[in-house]
Amino acid sequence: MIDFELSEDQRLVQQSVADFAKSTLAGRVREIEKARAVPEDLRRLAHEMALGLVDVPESAGGQGLGMLTSVLMEEELGAADAAAAFGLAGPGAFGAALVELGTAEQAQAELAAFAEADAFGRFGAVAWSEAAPNRARAGFTTVATRADTGWSITGKKAFVVNAHLADRFVVFAQVDADRGWDGIGAFVVHRDNPGLAAGARHDTLGLDAADFGEIELTGAVVAATARLEGDVGEGGFTRAALRFFAKRALVVAARAVGLARFAFDLALEHVENRKAFGKPIGHFQAVAFALSDRHMDVEAARWMLWKAAHAWDAKAKEEHALLATARAAAFALEAAMRTADECVGLHGGSGFIRDLVAEKLMRDAKQLALCGPSAEQLDQLAAALELGAPLDPAVVLPTPDTQAIFT
Amino acid sequence: MIDFTLSKKQRELKEGIHNLGKFVVRPMSLSMDKNHEVPEDFLRNFINMASSFRGSVGQWGSATGEEEKPREPGRISETNRTAAIASEELAWADAALVLSLPGPGLGGPPVRATGTPEQRARFFGMFGDMTKGPLRWGAYGLTEPGAGSDVSGIRTSARRDGDHWVLNGRKCYITNGARAIWTVIFATVDPSLGRAGHRAFVVEKGTPGFEVGKIEEKMGLRANETAELVLEDCRVPDQNLLGGEGAYVSKEKGFMTAMKTFDNTRPLVGAMAVGIGRAAYEYARDFVKDNYVLGRPIPRYAAIAERLARVGRRLDAARMLVWRATYMADLAMPNAKEASMAKAAAGQAATAACIEAIEICGAHGSLVTEHALLEKWFRDIKVYDIFEGTGNIQRVVISKRLMPALKSF
Repeated sequence: MIDFELSEDQRLVQQSVADFAKSTLAGRVREIEKARAVPEDLRRLAHEMALGLVDVPESAGGQGLGMLTSVLMEEELGAADAAAAFGLAGPGAFGAALVELGTAEQAQAELAAFAEADAFGRFGAVAWSEAAPNRARAGFTTVATRADTGWSITGKKAFVVNAHLADRFVVFAQVDADRGWDGIGAFVVHRDNPGLAAGARHDTLGLDAADFGEIELTGAVVAATARLEGDVGEGGFTRAALRFFAKRALVVAARAVGLARFAFDLALEHVENRKAFGKPIGHFQAVAFALSDRHMDVEAARWMLWKAAHAWDAKAKEEHALLATARAAAFALEAAMRTADECVGLHGGSGFIRDLVAEKLMRDAKQLALCGPSAEQLDQLAAALELGAPLDPAVVLPTPDTQAIFT
Repeated sequence: MIDFTLSKKQRELKEGIHNLGKFVVRPMSLSMDKNHEVPEDFLRNFINMASSFRGSVGQWGSATGEEEKPREPGRISETNRTAAIASEELAWADAALVLSLPGPGLGGPPVRATGTPEQRARFFGMFGDMTKGPLRWGAYGLTEPGAGSDVSGIRTSARRDGDHWVLNGRKCYITNGARAIWTVIFATVDPSLGRAGHRAFVVEKGTPGFEVGKIEEKMGLRANETAELVLEDCRVPDQNLLGGEGAYVSKEKGFMTAMKTFDNTRPLVGAMAVGIGRAAYEYARDFVKDNYVLGRPIPRYAAIAERLARVGRRLDAARMLVWRATYMADLAMPNAKEASMAKAAAGQAATAACIEAIEICGAHGSLVTEHALLEKWFRDIKVYDIFEGTGNIQRVVISKRLMPALKSF
């Protein structure tokens, strides 16, 4: 049955995150931006609420509340400060990678530390993109070679979220160069692993609170058990990687919907109060209709995300969940960009000035669209699924070098 | 509990309509379009074949206009959601057929909402059992040559004369107007009163002074009848004033009667638009699949794949707004804004889908053949962004709900 009614538990999570976001995050958006990090007191609060563990399975020490609850939470965070959502502690993308690519034992071993009482400063990270391009098919310059009983990894990874904060990473590397996409692998590498060093922090267009940077691996040796194998059998490693990116895309898209809602509310308030030619500017059709269109954007994006998240939670056929996710996330990322753009535009000159938060939303919206598969990449995935074309990783996974993304 | 899967009943309904649509309706689609008619024996056959889901496939939600059976307390109706699923599926087959289905059509909602119990029993009772007896239609007459989006500007006049009302005026673009056994006619007792002067009458076919004018030639939906109705000193008995005189004591009641209709019907019109858009999308998708994916790949494949994906997700977005609006209708939540959003988004998304689909298929996409209905869908879809309130009017409704202080532009 088509039903938009949240369960009592879901409403509770939504409400408590909304309260946290409104009462503590919202008033400190510029402070967080300037500090380029979320201050410790906020991280402590969020950790007490276990926000970082919502969608981590219980078997891995998480709350196991599923994708829909996660999407609800991320929208509320995004509605206060999408940038801060990246700066709260927790396993984040690292957790999703462990769950999708690792065994239950690996996930448990690596994620348990995030549930500890003092883990409010514990971050994980995923290193996918490459600092230097590799013209060979898969595009990974970073390589992993056999070393004694384990692996030795060498290469420079770029566009890593939490590059300087994370105490553990999932690093993607080319294991077998001759096998192209079939020859890539993923490894868990801890920060204190010899041979791993963080490089420069990227200065970015938006999401200033998020720590974007490079990490360099110079013959970093890890045990054989550090390798994440992905799906055994048919789908193989790249199918598991696709699932990882799809689920992350939903999380990022939910932040985008939150950001869009924020931008919409801001624009609405402005056009109702700002007067020109004798009446509120919202009472001119050009303004009112633009606002109506953005409202449709925000609402449609949210319901699409709910539908996709529900497909994962209800264990729908994987192709179905992937398609719903690709469509929802692509739509939401673009909707957020349109809404933030409109918000600045409707503010006029004041929208361009940093006294108001509108300009930040516009920068954040574009930056968000690069944190995970882009709308264009998601469209390629949706098309491949719809056309029954083989899910070629070169088409449906983000490219690690050209058109790279932040993970 | 959050859920976006169809119930078993809805799945069976959707599948049933889909198969009927694919194997029975679509093969007739082009000839019906050319002949400007859905043949009555075909309609009768269709209704009989569809009898298992009668009530869900209606033009605007209900094929018969029967009042909903009272439900057990606490049990929530799924009528609107189910109607959205059925409407999308049948419009996927042939939108003109949906509009041509017998029943009170758009005339049903105002009778249901404003009619007295006697009026409801009488006017719905006139349809009889259409599985055995003759097929019958109802209609809704609001638009006039001089008043479309601005409903308050209607000039059809109503003057009391004893226990009758005398109506004068012209109504245009009336779906099933010529064949309707009755039409809900909106008229004004005094144009200077604006909306407060509006009255809604059920005018029966054959009433002296109630004549059919021009039958319109249209860009699309050609199999469905669109008529002009002329009222010349047409005498309508008191009993046909919807709700009785008491219903118009509050100032804007007549207008609200006209508008209330739309909260339930607009999402379904949106659902139909999504159905047409999906038909075009699927046609283009299969064309690309056959010619590019399975045949020789062409260099522009990635660009075309992306265009397809954009069409697909926009239709999905519209469908979610439709589902949301019908969900709210089922729960009796105020949904005027959501109904308008569903209609506005769907009309545009589906029109864009048809335009894109033709381009993706190239010259092939514009051919008129019994197997390639793409050009027909392209012609059919545009009016979904026009009737039941243009895209702009939907945005007026949305704007007013977003900004309560906004009374008019």
